[in-house]
Formats: sequence, structure tokens, C-alpha cells
Amino acid sequence: MAEKVELNEIEVWDGNYAVSQALRQAQVDVVAAYPITPSTPIVENYGSYVANGLVDGEFVMVESEHAAMSACVGAAAAGGRVATATSSQGFMLMIEVLYQASGMRVPLVLTVVNRAVASPLNVRGDHGDMYAGRDSGWVQLDAFNAQEAYDLTLCAFKIGEDMRVRLPVMVHQDGFLTSHTAQNVRPLQDDAAYNFIGDYKPHDEMLDFSKAVTYGAQTEEDWHFEHKAKQHKALFDSKEVIDEVFAEFKKLTGREYKRVESYMMEDAEVAIVALGSTVETLRVAAEELRKEGIKAGVVAPRVFRPFPYDEIRDALANVKAVCMMDRSAPMGAMGALFNEVSAALYTNPNRPVVSNYIYGLGGRDFSVEEAKRIFKEQKAHADAGHLTTPIQQFSGVRGPKLGFFETKRS
Amino acid sequence: MSKGVLATEKRGIRELGAEEFVGWDEVTQGTVLYSFETEVKDVAHIRPEERPYSDFNSYTATVASWRVIKPIYNRDVCIDCQHCWVWCPDTSIISRDKQMLGIDYDHCKGCGVCAEVCPTNPKSLIMFAESEEIEDALAKWPEKKKKAK
Amino acid sequence: MIEIRWHSRAGQGAVTGAKGLGDVVARTGKEVQAFALYGSAKRGAAMRAYNRIDDKPIINHEKFMRPDYVLVIDPALAFTDNITENDKETTKYIITTNLSKDELISQIPELQDKKDRVFVVDAIGISLETIGRSMPNTPMLGALMKVSGMYDLDFFLDSMKRVLAKFPQKIIDANMEAMTRAYNEVN
Repeated sequence: MAEKVELNEIEVWDGNYAVSQALRQAQVDVVAAYPITPSTPIVENYGSYVANGLVDGEFVMVESEHAAMSACVGAAAAGGRVATATSSQGFMLMIEVLYQASGMRVPLVLTVVNRAVASPLNVRGDHGDMYAGRDSGWVQLDAFNAQEAYDLTLCAFKIGEDMRVRLPVMVHQDGFLTSHTAQNVRPLQDDAAYNFIGDYKPHDEMLDFSKAVTYGAQTEEDWHFEHKAKQHKALFDSKEVIDEVFAEFKKLTGREYKRVESYMMEDAEVAIVALGSTVETLRVAAEELRKEGIKAGVVAPRVFRPFPYDEIRDALANVKAVCMMDRSAPMGAMGALFNEVSAALYTNPNRPVVSNYIYGLGGRDFSVEEAKRIFKEQKAHADAGHLTTPIQQFSGVRGPKLGFFETKRS
Repeated sequence: MSKGVLATEKRGIRELGAEEFVGWDEVTQGTVLYSFETEVKDVAHIRPEERPYSDFNSYTATVASWRVIKPIYNRDVCIDCQHCWVWCPDTSIISRDKQMLGIDYDHCKGCGVCAEVCPTNPKSLIMFAESEEIEDALAKWPEKKKKAK
Repeated sequence: MIEIRWHSRAGQGAVTGAKGLGDVVARTGKEVQAFALYGSAKRGAAMRAYNRIDDKPIINHEKFMRPDYVLVIDPALAFTDNITENDKETTKYIITTNLSKDELISQIPELQDKKDRVFVVDAIGISLETIGRSMPNTPMLGALMKVSGMYDLDFFLDSMKRVLAKFPQKIIDANMEAMTRAYNEVN
């Protein structure tokens, strides 16, 4: 039996430490990992918990991230509670196996510390890796600070392991901005955290020899489509379980999560939609602008997949101008958040002016001042009743102003 | 079996001959395939032909028609060395308690590996034409070959 | 909101110092943030660490900061790093040096109009004499307590004992002495 740890009511933890504590409290059976900056401490700490008898589990050293995720899928199919962590290039190497995990419907948890993708090489935070996972069939939860990284990791096990879901879940946090920033974190005690998640319930586990199963079957055009359709439905349907788990978590902790978080949106005239720690910085800017008379609000998908189209549409129902901020190089397109949110808004009778900002690549600082400037640009669109800039602009990049794609007006 | 996989146009499905297959709502979760129809305790000690194999398991499919030639087994010469059992790529050599019983002709593809590895003189497994009757084959079994001096 | 910027070399313990301060502050019911900015870090490379302290949860994640306190825990960085960057009229400086305050300021033009806001302490010398190795982070915290008046010395030392609890008693005692000396010697 693993030894329990007495935690303080308030700890000062960074995002990595917070997540590793959540893995310990979940009593994860297997972590197979190939550590990479900035997510290294998550699996490193888990390894030390195993060595020190604080978790009854197995730390598996492997030769690459591809092998790490493969070992995780195998352990999950065998019937264990499984988790690992990665970032950036490691995430890219895992991608092939991410699709295997979701296709086989094994509920493992991947904690992703978001980091830019090379080339050029960069260890800092942007959302390039997170975006690369968006078609992989996983539930993707997004934390904006260390407390949320901890909370959502606990929720991730409960969501993915629910018999109505049985899908793998990613928990994202921003590299360095969250992973290496220590803040006040209010953890649950070990028993409360474990009981919230519950015992792992195996399903179709390979180690049950009385009910032999084959994982990884081949399906050609006669069967493949049906299986992918079922998987897609399972991912969309997971939203009900996500809502239930968030509601139960609120009952336990008082901390409320929603699939779409809205701040100061009741009377907002202009809004910004973003992901990650930026959401909180935007709130600082919006609060300051309200003192200047600009009705600014912030909307953030807490759940990136399944994408919360209905809730996004409702949250932005009454704004006059809204921009989507993507922290990932879109390379020849609008940013992914712009595309998703615009699609949601197109189903509304009231269609606000929409635009897209690319910002913060490779960890470039995103300041309150720049946030206020962008809000004010939205205000100018709202007042004009149409877009006054190109649809896509770059924020905080050196060199001449960079913008793409113009609205066609007659 | 669910009917009407696609409500109107079945092109693409009809051409596959897959119209009668179940739809997305009935396929197994995670494309997991169950080997048995029911729970099986201690499966290693149940003979294959007595296991409740499901349609998902390749045991319920036969490849007999693939064969052009087939192995015929002669109990009189066999020494139960298990070479053929080890080498057969289709687990089609039936052996119980290290005693050779014969060939599983539902799953044997007629590759000839068993006959090739058989160490007896004359061989206890010999490949004959698929149409050969077993009694006829045994009647014309070759004699022991003398070692050339 | 109080904002603090540490100037340090990787390995001198600025991150540990910033987190230690965070631990102490969090125990008094305040909200804290501690983070660092470093390149592909190797020991000895110049780096910066940051603290934010407030009564309500800190949701600002920008790296940009107008510090209330600048803590320089490497003597050479006072000369080579831009320690007055983004400062305010009220920013206070605590600089590790074996020079007197006047000697130091006379060599750093940027500090010459801020004399009344510059404080010096020989955190390296103190740590060598007490802890036995160059560990200027904890003595710097002792000096910060004196300059800022954030907490009284006894309360602070008591809190730091809990932060340092994982170390052997000898090390804890040496750190207590280092912080006390820095508290008394900073000027």
C-alpha cells in the first residue's frame, strides 16, 4: 500500500508539480515516459513517488515518445490506469500512437505542457503541439494556471474512464507560463482526490484471459468508416459526462469549471476568445478597459475537443466584434480557434465582426498593454460596423505590420 | 443485423457486398474483437474444437479451399517428435500430450512445411494431391531409404 | 500588488529564493506568483526570477514587470545586467556586494539618482561564512525583510524553517544565521 502524504491547505506549486501530485493521488498504475522540456518534472516526480513508496505503480523507461505512448496504450489495453506527459517534439512523435489510443478507446491521460514546435528549435510555450492533436480523437482540456492543471488532471481520469466515454484525455497547460510558475494551489487530501476519481474499472482488458480480446484489428473500406463514425459520436457525446464531472468537482471543492468559460460577458460589446494562461491576462486587460468605459469580455474554451460550438455561440450571442487569438503558426490558413468559433457564430442570426490574431509564438510575451490595444481594435470594428483591419493580423512580431485576407464589401 | 445501412443510396456499400453488415451503432467499441462467445475459464486446457470461438476468431473460418496439395499423416512411422507441430504456421497439427493425432484440414493451407521438417525415414508426413484418398496414400507409402555408402 | 525582480546567475538559487519567498507569503493568506526567465540554462548564465504578491488571486501572466524591488544576488550583474530596466520612481534596489554603498553607486551611473533607494548587503560573504558555500538567496531574503518591512524577523525565520524543513538541521541553522546577519547588516 502506498504511503499517504499530508498536504497543506495552500501549497505553492508550479503547474508541473501540481500535475505530478494529481498523478500520485490518482494512484496511476503505469507511466511510460521519455521526458522532454518543459514537462520533464511531471514524470520525473512520478518516478520518485514510485521509488519512495508513495504510489503503487510502475515507471517504464522507453527509447522515444513513440514508444512511450505505445507502452501506455498497451498498459491501458491490459487494464491499468495509465498516464504520461510530453511537449512539443515529443508530442509530434507521439501523434501516430495518439490515434491508436483513441481508436482503441483506452482511457489514458496525457498531460501536455504546451511548447512551440521546431524548426527553429524553441523550448517555450505556444500552442503548436496542442493544435497538432486536435484531430487525434482525444478529449482536450485546457488549464489556464497551476490550480486548474491540478484540478483538470483529476477530472481527466474520471471523464475518460466513464463507461459512457472510454476515451483518452489530454490536459494542456502553457509551458513555463504555467508549468514553471509557482502559485497558490489548494489541493485535495489524498483520500478525497482518489475517492473523487474512484477505482479504475477495467473494460475489455487484455489480462482477463476468460474473455480473450483482440486490439488493433484491421478494417478496410467495409468496416473502417463505421468504426470512425462511432468514435466521433463518442467524443461529441462526452460533453455530458464532462459537465457531470465538473459539477461533481464543484460540489467537492467549490471550484467551478465549464466547457466554455465566460468573463464579463453579460453586457460585453467586444470580446476576445483565447486559450491558456493568456485568458487570465486578458481578464486583467478587460477589467482595466471597463474603467475606461469599454465593455470588454473574455471567452475561453475550457474543452478544445469536443469543441463546444453551442456554448461558444451562446456566449458570444450579443457582441458586436470578437477576435480569436491563436498561439500557433497557422501556416497558410486562419488560426484554428478562428475557424471553429467563426463556424459556431455563423449559425447565429446576429453575426459579429470577426477577426484573428496570431500572437505569442515561441513564448513571446503577451502583455496587458497589447491585450488592451487589441480590445480597442475590436471596439473600432464595433463602432464602424465592419472590419477596419485585415481579418488576420500578427501581434507582437518585429518588422512591418503583417496582415492577411480582407473582407469583401460591396 | 440492421437493415438499411444508408437510407437511400447504397452505392459504395453495395459494391463491397457489405449491405448486410451492421452499422456504426452496432460495431464493437474500439474495434475490439472478442475471441469467444462466452466466458472461458482455463482456456489453455480446453481443446480448440471445444472452445466457444466467436465469428470474430479466425478459428471459425476455413482455408481448406486454398490447398492444391495436402499433407497425409502415417501413424506407423511417426516418432512424436513434435517438429511438425512447432513449425506449422497455421497451428494445424493436432497433438495431445505430445502425441501426434493428425491434421486440422480446415486450417491447413498445404504449405508443406510439416513434411519438409519431418525427420523420420520414411517421412511420417508426405504431401499428396488434394484429391488423393488417405487410404490410397497410406497403401503406397514409400519404404525406408537405405543410406548410400 | 508587490512585484519583485531577481537578477542572478543560474545556480545561485534565485528560483529557489523566489519560491521560498512565495511559500512564506502564501502561509500568511496572500496570493503569490514565482517564475523565472532563463535561456537554455547552464550554471553561471545570467537569469531573472520574478515574484508577484497580492491580496487577491494573481491572474496576470505577462512577463513584463515594473518591479517594486530589484534583488541582485550576483555582484557582477549589478554592472553587466540592466538592473534598472522598467523601474519606477519608487523601485528599491538590494544589491549583493562587498563594496560600500557609495563605492558601488559611484561605479554604476544608472543608480546615481536613486541613492536613497539603493541598499547593499554582502550576501555572498555572509553565505560563505555561515552556510560554507556561495548561496546568496536566503540572506537576500533576510535583507528584503528589513528593507521592505514585509514581516518581522522572528516570524520570517520561523516560516523559513518550515520551507527549509527537508534539509539537515545544520543547514537550517546556518541559513537562519545568514538571514539574521543580512537583516542586520543591510544598509
